[in-house]
Amino acid sequence: MRSGQLLSRLAILAALMPAIALAAAPRVSFNRDIRPIMSDTCFHCHGFDAKSRKAGLRLDLREEALKPTKNGVLPIVPGEPEKSEVILRINDTADPMPPEEAHKTLTPAQKELFRRWIAEGAPYEPHWAYAPLVRPAVPAVASAESRAARSDHPVDAFIRAKLAAKKISPSPAAEPARLLRRLSLDLTGLPPTPAEVAAFKADSLRDPRTAYRAQVDRLLASPRHGERMAVWWLDVARFTDTVGFHGDQNQRIFPYRDYVIAAFNANKRFDAFTREQLAGDLLPSPTTEQRIATGYNRLNMMTREGGAQPKEYLAKYGAERVRSVAAAWFGSTFGCAECHDHKFDPIKTRDFYELQSFFADVKQWGVYSDYAYTPNPDLKGWSNDHPFPPELAVTSPYLVARRERLLGEFASLRSSLPEAAVEAWVAEALSHLERNPTGWSELASKAALSAEELRGADKKKAPAKARARPAPTSLTLLAEPGRLATLRLEVPPVPDGKAPGLLRLTAARLRRPGAREEKLEISFADASDKEPRYADGAEVLGISTGWRIPRADTPRSGVWQLAVPRLLAAGDEVELIFAAAPPPGLRVFSSPLAASDPLETASAGQLAALRTAPGQRTVAQRALVADAALFAHAADRSILERAQRLAARIRETRDGQAWSLITEAVATPLELRVLPRGNWQDESGPIVRPATPSFLPGRRESTPERRLTRLDLAEFIVSKENPITARTVVNRLWAMLFGTGLSAVLDDLGSQGELPSHPELLDWLAAEFRESGWDLRHTIRLIVTSDTYRQGSSLRRELRDADPSNRLLASQNPRRLEAEFVRDAALFAAGLLNLRDIGGPSAKPYQPPGYYAALQFPDRDYIASDDEEQWRRGVYMHWQRTFLHPMLANFDAPSRDECAAARTVSNTPQQALTLLNDPTFVEAARALAARALAAGSSDATRLREAFQIALGRDPKATERDSLLKLLAAQRDHYRTNPDDAEKLLRIGLAPAPAGDAAELAAWSQVARVVLNLQEFITRY
Amino acid sequence: MPAFDPTAHALSVNRRAFLQQSAYGLGGLALAMLTNRLGAATPGATRPKGWHGALVAPHFPVKARRVIYLCMAGGPSQFETFDWKPKLKALHDQPFPESFTAGQQLAQLQNMVLKARGAFTEFRRHGQSGIEISDLFPHIASVADDLCVVRSMTTEQINHDTAHAFMNTGSIIKGRPSMGSWLLYGLGAETQELPGFIVLTSAGRFGLQPISARQWSSGALPSKFQGIQFQSRGDAVHYVGNPAGVCQSTQRQVVEEVQRLNGLLAEETLDPEITTRIAQYELAFKMQTSVPELTDLKREPKEMLDLYGVKEPGDGSFASNCLLARRLAERGVRMIQLYHRAWDHHGQLEEGMKSGARDVDQATAALIKDLKQRGMLDDTLILWGGEFGRTPMGQGTGRDHHINAFSVFMAGGGVKAGTTYGATDDLGYRAVENVVDVHDLHATMLALMGIDHVRLNTKFQGLDIRLTGVAGKVVPGLMA
Repeated sequence: MRSGQLLSRLAILAALMPAIALAAAPRVSFNRDIRPIMSDTCFHCHGFDAKSRKAGLRLDLREEALKPTKNGVLPIVPGEPEKSEVILRINDTADPMPPEEAHKTLTPAQKELFRRWIAEGAPYEPHWAYAPLVRPAVPAVASAESRAARSDHPVDAFIRAKLAAKKISPSPAAEPARLLRRLSLDLTGLPPTPAEVAAFKADSLRDPRTAYRAQVDRLLASPRHGERMAVWWLDVARFTDTVGFHGDQNQRIFPYRDYVIAAFNANKRFDAFTREQLAGDLLPSPTTEQRIATGYNRLNMMTREGGAQPKEYLAKYGAERVRSVAAAWFGSTFGCAECHDHKFDPIKTRDFYELQSFFADVKQWGVYSDYAYTPNPDLKGWSNDHPFPPELAVTSPYLVARRERLLGEFASLRSSLPEAAVEAWVAEALSHLERNPTGWSELASKAALSAEELRGADKKKAPAKARARPAPTSLTLLAEPGRLATLRLEVPPVPDGKAPGLLRLTAARLRRPGAREEKLEISFADASDKEPRYADGAEVLGISTGWRIPRADTPRSGVWQLAVPRLLAAGDEVELIFAAAPPPGLRVFSSPLAASDPLETASAGQLAALRTAPGQRTVAQRALVADAALFAHAADRSILERAQRLAARIRETRDGQAWSLITEAVATPLELRVLPRGNWQDESGPIVRPATPSFLPGRRESTPERRLTRLDLAEFIVSKENPITARTVVNRLWAMLFGTGLSAVLDDLGSQGELPSHPELLDWLAAEFRESGWDLRHTIRLIVTSDTYRQGSSLRRELRDADPSNRLLASQNPRRLEAEFVRDAALFAAGLLNLRDIGGPSAKPYQPPGYYAALQFPDRDYIASDDEEQWRRGVYMHWQRTFLHPMLANFDAPSRDECAAARTVSNTPQQALTLLNDPTFVEAARALAARALAAGSSDATRLREAFQIALGRDPKATERDSLLKLLAAQRDHYRTNPDDAEKLLRIGLAPAPAGDAAELAAWSQVARVVLNLQEFITRY
Repeated sequence: MPAFDPTAHALSVNRRAFLQQSAYGLGGLALAMLTNRLGAATPGATRPKGWHGALVAPHFPVKARRVIYLCMAGGPSQFETFDWKPKLKALHDQPFPESFTAGQQLAQLQNMVLKARGAFTEFRRHGQSGIEISDLFPHIASVADDLCVVRSMTTEQINHDTAHAFMNTGSIIKGRPSMGSWLLYGLGAETQELPGFIVLTSAGRFGLQPISARQWSSGALPSKFQGIQFQSRGDAVHYVGNPAGVCQSTQRQVVEEVQRLNGLLAEETLDPEITTRIAQYELAFKMQTSVPELTDLKREPKEMLDLYGVKEPGDGSFASNCLLARRLAERGVRMIQLYHRAWDHHGQLEEGMKSGARDVDQATAALIKDLKQRGMLDDTLILWGGEFGRTPMGQGTGRDHHINAFSVFMAGGGVKAGTTYGATDDLGYRAVENVVDVHDLHATMLALMGIDHVRLNTKFQGLDIRLTGVAGKVVPGLMA
């Protein structure tokens, strides 16, 4: 903060705090002192917006402000405040300015500033953020401390110049453990390990600067760095897993998140990052990666609501895109300009629609569905379960790796089968094959019942006789004696012109004479020929929930695998119940064989393998035979169930294939007009074509010959002429590392924002960022290697009045971790966090049941991830726009409906409840307790371990004594209440280690305390 | 050094910087309170901990202290509730006059032949005031003299999602706070043990539409002003229940230990967030007791359950939620919003309306009666209505969305009881007399709460935003 600014504010306080003496005031600065007042109190009626301008007076332009008004008075007479109407009116009690109805008042100090400014000649300056970016000189620092520290760091030079002017000395560096924890959390979103802390402390003793630089390099090179940075950018890009409007259906776009993480990990130049996201598809021969990046343009909210007007929603999407692009790259708020010229900034309505028209070629639909009242031939037959095209099919390295891992697990399960058992089953299978060489036996039909008859039968009533028999929906078949593992249903040809039918087997039952009817559960069903069906935005795997039979000239088969194979005897009956009458001519076959993929059942390969003598089978054949035995034989149910679960997970990796929303350009961009007052039904406004914002230097406009494209916009954004993008980005990086930006308003660098505390530093960093080749990592390294960054974060009481918000940065600021990193820190301390994988689909941590009850179209159920995906980092959490995970929401993560450049930081009881009671944190506490228990045998050692893991330090004596007292009390409680201990240890998916349950429960309580500490969720 | 003066502190920093961050403490929005306080007689008067609102003194006389908004989500038909249109009934099944509809925005009736659909119900006059109410709502009719029915509502948004956003925030742009958040921000709550803005949801059998947590978002205001949704399954408030195997006394020990250790940290580190954190843990622990006590409707006497028509206390029905709303009102919650998802009757209007009326009629009337007998109706403002209305034209067996006219009613809290306000044309297509748009409704509700709608605002992305956008006028005709 400039001394003048501070003084002016102190002057405001003069009435309240007469104790503060005023020093001789320096010259008034328009940008620093006058523009904020004008912006707040004058521009609404005397600013850019011609429509709301009063008395024909505008004060935002000097030449206008010096002209006589309609009434013939002179608003501003440079050097002569007493002749300036502005001064007369702001002091006029009878007819004051601003007028009473504006509910704005000027303080005496503000009035005095105005007077002095005019007395000094009323010089104007362009708004700082829009002014050309010129690298300022680094101030020469004369302070003794800097010389002593031999710091010639430019960041420190700027910061210390101001501190020195205020005679404030910077704070000493934070002690090493705390410093490393800060750096680690800032750069990777994870705390350091105790070993890392110990090593850094040792290295710091030798050479603190070298040791620190080594840590900076290590952390910036860590793949966790990309995940940390992605949390920032995904807010800006409004990345989510769901579309946001109305039914808030799933959209498939996780590869875009992978792209963002990879970009940060590769330190992709920010100009390339910009170009690829806005216009990757327009680059010459775009790569898959570049096309995935264009998913950015598709992250606006979308609707599928019945009755929505496509044109209205296209207008909404377009307007949102302008707001989000402007917020992301221009740090500007274009929102107001949708309906009227911006009142405080020179953003015109035309700018809004010109920026929108860059995106008029993005292929999209207003309503992503096909309704009778709004037909959409492109998406004919689309339902609420369909995806949101256009999408790109891509390979997901995460899914490929997961599939490989699961296949490995499957292989070891397979090899755990005793060979004798396999061969015994093979012998049985071979004897069947002697009778039925194809492996299939057709089942004879006994009876067919219609739906009505079924219902009647349920009510033990005789079916109505007189009426014509409706088509049967239940088939009873005579079972083939022997083993039943798989059923195959063969349907007759569906000729062209006939609609494909949907066959849905809703239940299968087994009836044995003299025994209770049994339900035959199906583990999985599939058909090699099927029309795709969708659920929740993705293609349904298999046909268990329905088989849409394709048109074909020959019969088609679907295969249903039983969850538990059965041994059947003559006289047993199998009843199949369908949702609707199956096609006439349906044939049913059974087989004692099975396979990991039902479609492999009785395949030529499988039959050949079975018929090959054990010693002569190839490796592949051995696997086929073992799989067949595994799935067809229920000797060991737990192995069978594990095999089925693994097979399901392997299928869900879809061979590593994923889909991602991308931008496709249409040949003819939508014609866009300025919409008067934003009204999409009003077509009276002028047609607009792409052009860059008129208020920024280096404007580029479409010509009749050449329409500018998204790529042109991207090129302008990263051009030398555009000053605002580098300022915007650098300011946000600063906020990431200091808690507050150099300009505190991260989402508005316009005139309603804040003049930076250190404007020259911001410009210097912005110039450095741009000239370094838009090198984010270089810029971050530059900032974190400053002494300013490394200072202690304890606020200093003596500065509370001089610098209440610590904007001079005489110390670092404590910063509460973002929601994702609160989670990560807990799981990291627990040793549960998955640090092996990068990227991949969104994971679903535990979530309170019923949270999606008010979601419809389709109805949604939330099924928490039930394997290691449970413990993925917060950046991978499923992001449901309308019902964000309560943990994320409670810790201020935005729903990302639109660009969110700044998160609020709240401190609420909901946060306390989350840390105390959310199963994620209870499970983490238990796992941390187990780690502490494993560290040694004494309570003190164990406590020390827990503190080192979670906080990177030893407990102090007072903390230790207090916690050990708690431990003793909890121990007593759980020794006397062993049931409670068991219940506590059962929370979560991770198995609790065997051993003394009461002891682990008591330590879990201690660990809960540690994970709830302010110190744990704050980076100091 | 002089004692720390929060007023001086707040004014010594840039206003926006202060809103973003104040290193030495004071909840960010204290500034608004402080600037207001400058006009008040005695700055710095001590009050209990917690947020007491940005307004130190009300702008207008306070008529209502809390709002209960019974949101009939989906948009119930005004033609079967409060807007009796005999001429529409006479025109039933005839072509709907094009003079009304040409060039108008329609939802699912786009490109369809338009036919008039008259009310399938009868209307009667009720109470001293003789307000005409459909026979589907006999209980509500029994409190007709407490109602102020607005027949001339209009809105701008024709689809559910955006219409709810408009009704709640006065805008469809994301980041705008909802009405409850504004009230909590402006006035604080009279409870420090419960959230000040609570949302309850229930669902009927016909015409369900989804509803988003966005509708009770605090938007640009800090998240502590957001609505807290009470769940009908599991914990009423997320994570308010202790983990399995942790009883209240062991939980207490854990919380006390957290407090103790945070206190130690506060002694050595000057970070005001620590003291705030300690206060939040205290509040959280109180909520762990107060929420289960609050939601335990079994403590209500049988005649009370019968009055509301509660079949199973706490079953998540609208009736149960109404009873819970009264308990929340008694405990000082500022805004209680009930959503009943049951009113989107594009088809099966008759079944749907009958079913919806069965869900809400008795409980709505019971809430009014109950508050009245407790002397609380006078300062409780009730709003009943959907996010829009329905077309006078039929759509198959139902009605489409309609924004040019619909009906809501208010009761209690300083509204003119036993009146109707505004009117639609003969066929109920358009509000023609004393039109009340959503901003006007908001301005009037805020006025009843003592707030001048143009003076309750916050900075967001370079604008002073407020609930009423740049519009809204208080409607004196709705006020007693």
